[in-house]
Amino acid sequence: MASTPDAVEKQAQAYLPDFCAPGTVLVILLVAELVAILLTLVAHESGTFLTELSKMSMFLLWLALPGTGILCAIRPWAERQGHTRAFVICFFLLVSMAGILAEITWQLTGIFGQFVIINDTHAGFVVRTLATSSIVVALSMRYLYISSEWRRSIVLEAQSRISALQALIRPHFLFNSMNTIASLTRSNPKQAEEAVEDLADLMRANLNSTGERTTLKEELETAAIYQRIEKLRLGDRLKVRWDVASLPMRALIPGLTIQPLLENAIYHGIELLSDGGQVTVTGKRIDDQLDISISNPVAADQRRRTSGNKMALSNIRQRFELAYGHRAQVNVRESEHEYCVHLLFPYDEGSR
Amino acid sequence: MRILIVDDEPPARDRLRQLLNDVGAQDIVGEAGNGHDALNIAAREKPDVVLLDIRMPVMDGIETARHLNQMTVPPAVIFTTAYDEYAIEAFDANAIGYVLKPVRRERLEQALNQAARLTGDALLEIGRRPGVSNQRRHLCARLHEQLKLISIDDVQYFVADQKYVSVIHNGGRDLIEDSLKSLEEEFDNRFVRIHRSAVVALAAIDTLKKDEDGRTRVILRSGENDDELIVSRRHVADVKRRLKKG
Repeated sequence: MASTPDAVEKQAQAYLPDFCAPGTVLVILLVAELVAILLTLVAHESGTFLTELSKMSMFLLWLALPGTGILCAIRPWAERQGHTRAFVICFFLLVSMAGILAEITWQLTGIFGQFVIINDTHAGFVVRTLATSSIVVALSMRYLYISSEWRRSIVLEAQSRISALQALIRPHFLFNSMNTIASLTRSNPKQAEEAVEDLADLMRANLNSTGERTTLKEELETAAIYQRIEKLRLGDRLKVRWDVASLPMRALIPGLTIQPLLENAIYHGIELLSDGGQVTVTGKRIDDQLDISISNPVAADQRRRTSGNKMALSNIRQRFELAYGHRAQVNVRESEHEYCVHLLFPYDEGSR
Repeated sequence: MRILIVDDEPPARDRLRQLLNDVGAQDIVGEAGNGHDALNIAAREKPDVVLLDIRMPVMDGIETARHLNQMTVPPAVIFTTAYDEYAIEAFDANAIGYVLKPVRRERLEQALNQAARLTGDALLEIGRRPGVSNQRRHLCARLHEQLKLISIDDVQYFVADQKYVSVIHNGGRDLIEDSLKSLEEEFDNRFVRIHRSAVVALAAIDTLKKDEDGRTRVILRSGENDDELIVSRRHVADVKRRLKKG
């Protein structure tokens, strides 16, 4: 389980293409050649096109190949410097390298003057090279930046879809509920009927909300249905206090947030207490932020034993990050007798 | 066939009772909502078969089964569970009877017919699976025919003398049937051996002290300071290291 999201995450983080790969090198050569053609087309005088082009190509390949080599070498290090910084570092590295190569070229033409003539002053040639290469490098960096952002958002979105799927009803809950219903079918057919209806509603809510945001009203209703089913199974051991009246019900929240947290609170908390206990859901609005917390009592000797199923929580974290970036927080507060998950996220109102 | 039903969910117990009625196994000698209560009823009623849920408060099914196995005449155990992939793997591998929830009548009937006592090895094997704890939360002392459960949290130390192991806990001193070696292995993260025949709970130790004869003694938080608690020279370094680690 752990390996897959890690791999996906790594892919999402790799924003610089692999400059050591033959495919990338080929693309760079192609781009260099296109730039050479472009520059020659703009500058050439009639009749000299091919000669000029070959000179220009040579010079550009002379810049492009070492550039690729440097990027290939520093990429692992640059990746670690963070997204934006990596691009800035690459930009300055490439431009300064272009400057140095231009200088070397000038010195070489001094030695092999009979083969290559540059119709420019020393300073003019270096400055021109610097200016052109900054523009080309800046454009390509921008392109790589945008396409990596685009890839990243695709990966993140796919991740959150997977997360939402994983947050779907757990097998444990499903089978236990089925067993409860099988039992009630004989002892209390009316209750069994209601339980089947509730279970169906819950499944539907689960299937509908993959990845989408939903209103608090719907989300709380789903959680309430879930609570009704668990109540049949656990009886008086399960109490839930809803302190959410002051929340704006039209506010949006990533779907499948409260129900899985309630499920966790029951599975890891209430179920392991012989006398049960009370799950408390509190919510309030603080300016333009919504603040929801779900807390449950913990069996005294349980904390040490359960390494815990952190899947639901990490799913919620991921989906909050996708929906709100750094504007949302998902925190856990743990004490000896209580476990509390705290959600803080911006108040958005849906159009629906 | 005398049957004991153990499950923390009332509807699940109802369901088992209904199905047992269906298959004509009507001698249900008791119902319990957790492993602790189950052991008390089992000691009194001496069931032939215990239908045992795995996930329960206070004491889970796997640990309950281990204690049941220490009875003079251990009952056969059939586990009931909704979904425990690791445990089920272990049941299959060790021919341990189980039924999945929702329980099917035929499956229950089949399990009852095949119900057999568990072997200690098979139970240990289950505990080795990931997601299943091999550490009991209680020890089981036998007083005549009654089972007395002692929480591991209450244990101060174990001493072996010849044949039996005594457990010294907040509620007194009892004999148990586990060997010192197996206890040391099972609870190695919480206990430390101080000499050939004593293993002490790290949490119960207050400090180490040299007495006038130059021997290192364990002073317990309870203030107890018995000659049983002299650390042998071989173990001094290890005990100090474990205490430092917390």
